Amino acid sequence: MPSSVIVYSPDEIRGRIISKTLQVKGIKNLLFTSHFEAEEAINKRPPPVIILDTKKNLASELNFLKTLSNNLLKTTLIVLSNPSDVPVLEEMGIDMVLCIPDPFDPELIFLKARDALAREFSMKSFARVLKQAVLRASRFFFRSLRIIIILAIGLAGGYIYWCISTLPKIGVLDNYSPYEASRVYSYDNKLLTEFYVERRTFIPHEKIPKHVIKAFLAVEDKRFYRHHGVDFIRIISALIKNIRERGFVQGGSTITQQLAKMLFLKPEKTITRKIKEIVLSIQIEGKYTKDEILGLYLNQAYFGTRAYGIEAASQAYFGKSTADINISEAALLAALPKAPSKYSPFKDPKGAFRRRNHVLKRMLVTGFISKKEYKKSLTEPIPDRFHGRKYKAPYFVDYCRTILEDKYGDRLYTSGLKIYTTLDYRMQRIAENAIKNGIKDLQKRGITGVQAALLAIDPKTGWIKAMVGGTNFWDSQFNRVTQAERQPGSAFKPIVYLTALNNGFKPDSTIRDKMFTYVLTNEEGTWTPQNYHDVYRGVVTLKTALALSLNAATVDLAKKVKIKNIIKTAKLVGIKSSIHPFYPSALGASEMTLMEIVYAYAALAYGSRVGPMCIDRIIDREQLALVGPSGTKERVINKKALTGIRQMLRAVILQGTARKARVINRKVYGKTGTTNDYADAWFIGFDDKMVAGVWVGRDGRAPIGENETGARVALPIWIEFMKNL
Amino acid sequence: MGIKDLFKSGPSVEVMGDRDIDVPAEPINENQKIVDRLMPSRKKEETRSIKGPIGIDIGTVNIVVAQSRGKDIKAVRQLNAFFTIPYSNITRKTLSRDEIMFFEKNEKLYILGYSAEEFASTFGGDTRKPVESGLLNPKERESISVIKALISRFIREPVKNNEKICFSVPGEPIDRPASVIFHESIIKMHLKSLGYYPIAINEGMAVILSELTGNNFTGIGISMGGGMCNVCLSYLSVPVVTYSIQKGGDYIDKMVGSSVGEMAAKVKAVKEDGFDLSIEPRDRIEIGLHIFYDDLFSTLAQSLQQVLGSSDNIPRFSKPLPIVLSGGTVMPRGCKEKFEKALTEVRLPVTISEILVAEKPLFATAKGALTMAITEDSEI
Ligand SMILES: Nc1ncnc2c1ncn2[C@@H]1O[C@H](COP(=O)(O)OP(=O)(O)OP(=O)(O)O)[C@@H](O)[C@H]1O
Ligand SMILES: [Mg+2]
Repeated sequence: MPSSVIVYSPDEIRGRIISKTLQVKGIKNLLFTSHFEAEEAINKRPPPVIILDTKKNLASELNFLKTLSNNLLKTTLIVLSNPSDVPVLEEMGIDMVLCIPDPFDPELIFLKARDALAREFSMKSFARVLKQAVLRASRFFFRSLRIIIILAIGLAGGYIYWCISTLPKIGVLDNYSPYEASRVYSYDNKLLTEFYVERRTFIPHEKIPKHVIKAFLAVEDKRFYRHHGVDFIRIISALIKNIRERGFVQGGSTITQQLAKMLFLKPEKTITRKIKEIVLSIQIEGKYTKDEILGLYLNQAYFGTRAYGIEAASQAYFGKSTADINISEAALLAALPKAPSKYSPFKDPKGAFRRRNHVLKRMLVTGFISKKEYKKSLTEPIPDRFHGRKYKAPYFVDYCRTILEDKYGDRLYTSGLKIYTTLDYRMQRIAENAIKNGIKDLQKRGITGVQAALLAIDPKTGWIKAMVGGTNFWDSQFNRVTQAERQPGSAFKPIVYLTALNNGFKPDSTIRDKMFTYVLTNEEGTWTPQNYHDVYRGVVTLKTALALSLNAATVDLAKKVKIKNIIKTAKLVGIKSSIHPFYPSALGASEMTLMEIVYAYAALAYGSRVGPMCIDRIIDREQLALVGPSGTKERVINKKALTGIRQMLRAVILQGTARKARVINRKVYGKTGTTNDYADAWFIGFDDKMVAGVWVGRDGRAPIGENETGARVALPIWIEFMKNL
Repeated sequence: MGIKDLFKSGPSVEVMGDRDIDVPAEPINENQKIVDRLMPSRKKEETRSIKGPIGIDIGTVNIVVAQSRGKDIKAVRQLNAFFTIPYSNITRKTLSRDEIMFFEKNEKLYILGYSAEEFASTFGGDTRKPVESGLLNPKERESISVIKALISRFIREPVKNNEKICFSVPGEPIDRPASVIFHESIIKMHLKSLGYYPIAINEGMAVILSELTGNNFTGIGISMGGGMCNVCLSYLSVPVVTYSIQKGGDYIDKMVGSSVGEMAAKVKAVKEDGFDLSIEPRDRIEIGLHIFYDDLFSTLAQSLQQVLGSSDNIPRFSKPLPIVLSGGTVMPRGCKEKFEKALTEVRLPVTISEILVAEKPLFATAKGALTMAITEDSEI
């Protein structure tokens, strides 16, 4: 095979580094360190790609460069240079996408070369692929189907040609390994972590245990060994479904197609893409055996927690090699590629458990395992500890990752992005310490096994400044800021009072604080809301009722303003969880996340609703910004109501349940929350720059401890955080 | 002394995939062993009768020759030293009868290798060295003749003309102006005259070829020998940065000796006799050894900072690099930890993943040179 790339560098070491990198990654190339020889070789047989290194002496390469870029129209010219020479090259009309200034990055050079080669899809191989497709189709499918396909190919020929002219070339993909880590920074420029592809430890298919392969076949693609690359039955049914839904969302992919899909960098769901995948699948099937394909697939697939490939996944989840995992572990892994974060045992242990058992069931049904093996595997626990590298602000980083993965897919791990987040690492540290100390205080009182979470945001922009999703990420990755749905208790009350202010009430309007029995609309039964100290004050102002968190008075008010209006207000300030239309909801009986409440308070505090933002900007390898800040902001509360609610939330601090917070010598506002049996303790509050919320409780919803209220448990954490800012 | 099987612990050269770089064409496989013979003078035929490429490490203290023999690597070690005694016919005959390595020149008999040490202790003197600080010793007039003689005693004419032989050369010293060209050319010429096709390899690079097969020959190789420390940063087997510092085991012996008032030879004997850097020193010599090992590692770490920091050829590495230590000086336990500590005191432009110690520090350079010779052989 002739060399597809010519490397020219007058600096021998740089030249050898580039040449070797390409060679190791499967791109044949010739290296020249002298002008004369390089020119001779290029003239003899112009290669599709030339890499030209001008770092050492641009001046003496200029002529060479000009001749090359003028004479070789079909050749892609990649130019390496000193950063300071870039303007000169740009002036000359060198394609800036193909100009790579130092720092010297051989992997990046390889990526560019590979991309350039991938564009080189010759007419010749196109013809071969088409012939193959037709042959395969005619050999294996009913006559009618064949006619349809041939017709389709005939009609869509030009279109398909266009599609596959941008197809990755599979020869090159033998050594597919495009990776440069993306780096994640805090707003104050602290490196939080790197998103990278775990060094893909390739394990050959014959070294993967049989039961592991079977686990995957059981869920992914039962017909794998029978069909030929593209499962036409699936594709047809997917097509029908798509026509019905007028979109292209249905999967219908075989393992080969999923492999083909992985070979593309960007996730997109279009017909064009689908056709590319099909053609690539056929090519792959022509080149590799079924076992090799399955091996490739298992080595490429993404299993969550940064693990690409089955070996990395075995290591990450079980701390051992693929060769050593048992049936139940294999079943868990087989469940992951479909939805790596959804079925992650660290995020949703119960879901992962169910899903794994589903896979085991399938293995049993398909006869891959015996009844005995099945029974035994069902009882195995799922892993609860991550065996990988640790990083800073982990809950936040993981939250960002989920968001970014949706948007950038694989690129997140491979394209060397610089991701600047909104997190303020200094505040994050303060938050983490505050949580730690809060938990310590509880331990001193003999209370253990309690979880806590904190979220701090900038209410003007929606930027997340600090996020602690639990006491120890490495024990439990369940994020109690974004994922735990809990009853907010009295922390919900400000929404009731805001509804009142919007409906003509004033902070000193009066309501009745009296024991009263209500008949619940939805259920048969009655309900008697009681005040915390069982003291009832008769007639009170709204302000006092909120400050002292009087339940009886609040329900009286809710009755007056109507529960449906309260629900409306809740939606307006951004609560997405559903609020049940009965009175207990006024006392915070409907579950929601800490994140929802904190953003609702941001609206309460400033009158405008903002959405959560965790990314400030992303810079790609070419130093281009991929996203800028794009938060939406909507005014939802009028001036008068805003002044009223702030005044009332200030009273909570000055005269109410959160008097402890007076130690902070600036104006702070907020509200405590405690739920039945002390299962949840809350404090949500703000000053003029920041909204922060703290939740304390147990994952299993058992009581924290007798008399452990929001004021006693959550407030001190909040105070420590706000005081130290 | 008989043949010692020094390499009991399994494979020493891994079999590698076909698209790897400079790899032996006929990979020596899993059961491979390296056999060490300390006294080749008794049975010279063994080395000579074997065909195929050769790796040779010409060090300040030792000369090591490595060759593959079937599935094993055979390595032979000799002292790179000589001792002269006045010429007399009787002495010459005795020497010949006892199969002692020697040659005669200018009315003198030059005893070579281990025998030189024996003679030196009997006659109450010091051995002399043809190589000092890694290079031909300019203070010895006969250094060239001695080195030639030693090499010729090890290896005779090759069975096949232009057989590949790869020999190690030090990197340019950063702490003293000296050129390796002279040294390299003399050895090259001599090997050529014997009928070989000589290839030079940087000593640090040889360590990488020997020890970092599993990491695609990417990392930092350091050979800490008697006269110097050789460093090489390699990217996929391309030596990107190479240099040496002229401090090594001899320096430690000398400095400890003069600090505690003992002979360097005594210090050396203590050092080589199971001395352990990971436990507290028990006497003055051991204290001295600790101090000057620290000193050497610290010099080494600083030199890394200085040289790597000022090089503009270092590519971006997609993952942290391993460092592998080799050479006789890293034989004591605890070297890895000492070096690790010294590294925390400096800032390097590359991140280090781990520090490894060669499996057989005295033979890694020769083994790497052999790998190189085999690769070159298969490429043509
Ligand atoms: N067991 C041991 N413990 C400590 N040091 C040892 C041991 N064995 C040998 N050495 C030391 O190792 C050094 C010799 O090592 P090596 O054979 O690697 O050097 P060399 O290759 O001859 O020298 P150079 O590479 O500097 O030219 C000597 O200083 C010797 O004292
Ligand atoms: Mg040496």
